[in-house]
Amino acid sequence: MESDVKNGLLAASRVFGGVAMVALWLAGLGLVAMTAIVAYQVFMRYVMNSSPPWTEASSIMIMSWFIFLGAAVGVREKFHMGFDVLLYVLPPSGKPVLRTISDLAIFAFGFGMVWFGGELALRGWTVRVPVLGVPQTLTYLPIVVSGLLICLFVLERMALRLAGEPVDDVETDQIVSEA
Amino acid sequence: MEYWILFGTFTALMLIGTPISFCLGIASFATITYLGRPAIVVFQQLNSGVSVFTLMAIPFFIFAGDLMMRGGIAARIIAFAGAIVGHIRGGLGQVNVLASTLFGGISGSAVAEAAAVGGIMIPQMKERGYGADYAVNVTSMAALIALLLPPSHNMIIYSISGGGRISIADLFTAGVIPGILLAISLMVTAYIVARRRGYPTEPFPGFAKAFQYFIISIPGLMLIAIIFGGVRSGIFTATESSCIAVIYALLVTIFVYRTMDFSNFVHCVTGAVRTTAMVLFIIGSAASFGWLMAYLRVAPILTDGVAQLTNDPLMVLMLINILLLLLGTFMDMGPLIIITTPIFLPMVTEFGVDPVHFGVIMILNLGIGLNTPPLGPVQFVAAAVGKISIWQAMRSVWPFYGAGLLVLGLVTYIPALSLWLPGLFRGH
Amino acid sequence: QTVLRSSDTHPDGYPTVEAVKYFGELVKERTDGRYEVEVFHSAQLGQEADTIEQTQFGVIDLNRISIGAFGTQVPEATVTQLPFIFRSVDHYHNVLDGPIGDEILAAFDSVDVVALAFYDGGSRSFYNSSKPIETPDDMAGMKFRVMQSDIFVDMVGALGGNATPMPYGEVYSGIQTGVIDGAENNYPSYDTAGHAEVAKYYSLDEHLMVPEVLVMSKIVWDGLAPEDQEIFRQAAKDSVAKQRELWAAQEVESKKKVEELGAKINTVDKAPFIEAMKPVYEKYVTDPKLKDLVERIQATEG
Ligand code: NA
Ligand code: NA
Repeated sequence: MESDVKNGLLAASRVFGGVAMVALWLAGLGLVAMTAIVAYQVFMRYVMNSSPPWTEASSIMIMSWFIFLGAAVGVREKFHMGFDVLLYVLPPSGKPVLRTISDLAIFAFGFGMVWFGGELALRGWTVRVPVLGVPQTLTYLPIVVSGLLICLFVLERMALRLAGEPVDDVETDQIVSEA
Repeated sequence: MEYWILFGTFTALMLIGTPISFCLGIASFATITYLGRPAIVVFQQLNSGVSVFTLMAIPFFIFAGDLMMRGGIAARIIAFAGAIVGHIRGGLGQVNVLASTLFGGISGSAVAEAAAVGGIMIPQMKERGYGADYAVNVTSMAALIALLLPPSHNMIIYSISGGGRISIADLFTAGVIPGILLAISLMVTAYIVARRRGYPTEPFPGFAKAFQYFIISIPGLMLIAIIFGGVRSGIFTATESSCIAVIYALLVTIFVYRTMDFSNFVHCVTGAVRTTAMVLFIIGSAASFGWLMAYLRVAPILTDGVAQLTNDPLMVLMLINILLLLLGTFMDMGPLIIITTPIFLPMVTEFGVDPVHFGVIMILNLGIGLNTPPLGPVQFVAAAVGKISIWQAMRSVWPFYGAGLLVLGLVTYIPALSLWLPGLFRGH
Repeated sequence: QTVLRSSDTHPDGYPTVEAVKYFGELVKERTDGRYEVEVFHSAQLGQEADTIEQTQFGVIDLNRISIGAFGTQVPEATVTQLPFIFRSVDHYHNVLDGPIGDEILAAFDSVDVVALAFYDGGSRSFYNSSKPIETPDDMAGMKFRVMQSDIFVDMVGALGGNATPMPYGEVYSGIQTGVIDGAENNYPSYDTAGHAEVAKYYSLDEHLMVPEVLVMSKIVWDGLAPEDQEIFRQAAKDSVAKQRELWAAQEVESKKKVEELGAKINTVDKAPFIEAMKPVYEKYVTDPKLKDLVERIQATEG
């Protein structure tokens, strides 16, 4: 019985892995699209002497989509930067406790992204983005989608932790930093 | 009480290992809820914090850096640097600094630079009898040159955190002389330490060979000329130059070096997306945090506090420098710029410090913080490449810290080092 | 005692910031200190579009904002963003001080804010780095940075120029290096942003006189006693004269400063510019109600 639950969890986890992969690829596509748009903007202005008015607003919108999608993936892949000073002074058994508190906090924020981002998106339905003319809902939707994914990924991790999976020992092998 | 909730939640979560971006966001969420005001503003700021055109330079420069590293542009620049300064005592240490200087002119990321230059230099240095700690420390400190020489996306973050009205072009130009100063002082330090440790020299490969290395690295070095030339001649803006850097790096690695295939490209894209998402998500959540700090009037309160201590601009700058160095030991550069600029900038401008000058001080100061544990990402990367622990690196890092602090002191107290060059370009 | 938070994107000491402070003093005096106003200047609480939403949420209480930031959300207010809708500063004052002004203020109710008063934002003209603009033909092929708004983009297009999107912070170096030829703004911004250093030609076409407006959150307003609402409204009206006085002084000072920097200011025959705006009016003034409003504004004296 217990192993059925665990197998179900692991299967669900593989599905989440696929979701994260799709989100990452979409985000990558966004980065490529943004590169193309800004290059097009430079080309049209400098070579054709005719600036398309939509490039700035559209590239900003694409950027916020790929940042928030990528940020959700980061929760699952654990590439968000943090550092845990307390873990050095606490016994190893303290780790799952700290990680659980941390995950609950992340869940709360993800929930806020869905809830309040949703409110912003709804309010934006009647407001048009200047120059693009699309509803402002599109500006705020990335927060909602990202928040939803963040909540799912955190729940997945907490469930796996409860099931005894070593979720806190696996560290990401990506070198990601910002400076 | 609200101040305790804002800063207390942030600190508590940070200590238990919650990612910085979430610490900032949750602290803001908790505080606004405590105040009983609509929490929706926290999520509005999360979004508008990242919806800024000039921020686009960050994903682009990171993307371009990934392409240059994976596409072998960085390796060729290092080979060229080795040919020209390798024959000096402790030659590979000098090569390391020179390569960092050249690479720093095309990348704005100290971590990318530590990985790129260190990845190639540190193993070579160890093989030829240099101490791993020496190789690691030279690499990690020289990597900071990338922050000062244009392009530098941290300067863009600073400009935006300062209200978006500080000229990015001026900031870029202002970093050049301090960047070169840092290179010189590190070369001297590397030389002195190498002499005392009796490290070898590299034979000069001859002019023919040096010239050959130069030719091979031209396409990479050209990027410096293209970025500078393109911005100065009005073809594109400083922000747009980052996109051009991506296009150029792609063209060179696909058509000239023929090192970029589809799977390499995908690696670069997903890598850049991960790094960018991580950085910009912090910028977004820091916007929420910054909004609450403004709402709670943290900056004026602090300014009044400092003004009561002293009203001598030199003392104020020293206090701020010490505070930033302390903060920088346990926090990372981007978030620190974002969090502290709105506090310190109004304060120093009140005391007559130029915002561009202060930007250079801040970048260099926080750059040094990238090399100090417990949170020193550049040092971590260099130590990981050198396969030594942070503690082993720390034992002999002091002369290099000294070199960095010396330059920081000069840059702080001689404004002309930062302001002369942009003034020259502006023509007054 | 309640402290009300008011946002402004301009720096401390700017006429709008000082006017809101003065409004705050009047409110404090007339409510016997029950209400105080604290001005958060320099966009500390966000850019205009953000702070409008914050006012609507009720997270901030007051906001000094350019009508342009409302875009097309308030149709009646859109009319004031039409190029050359006001013939002169006197005309602008006559319209906004009269019944049409009250009608436009009332229209803001539809977006959950209470508009209290109009302030002066001066008239905006084009400036560039290469030549004085005398006729629309002079603008052919020139690149101008304008605010991200459909009307302004279409206006530049109708005059034969290229509206080029660019963040405000990059405009200085953009003009200096030649990415763009120029931008457009009033004297004080032309001066304080330093653009006069790189764009020497300021051509007084005065294409826009976009009013500034002091708004209060509807949520906060509804919580006020009726007699307090009256005090707030009156204090706002009373701060207008003060703001106009400060604004006029600021314009004189800025004009002097840019002239010292070597700016060459030329006057412009507006007729051909106004003529060129026909397609813009046709595109944005389609509603009969707005057509009527435009006609009444044009019929106002001044
Ligand atoms: Na750089
Ligand atoms: Na550090």
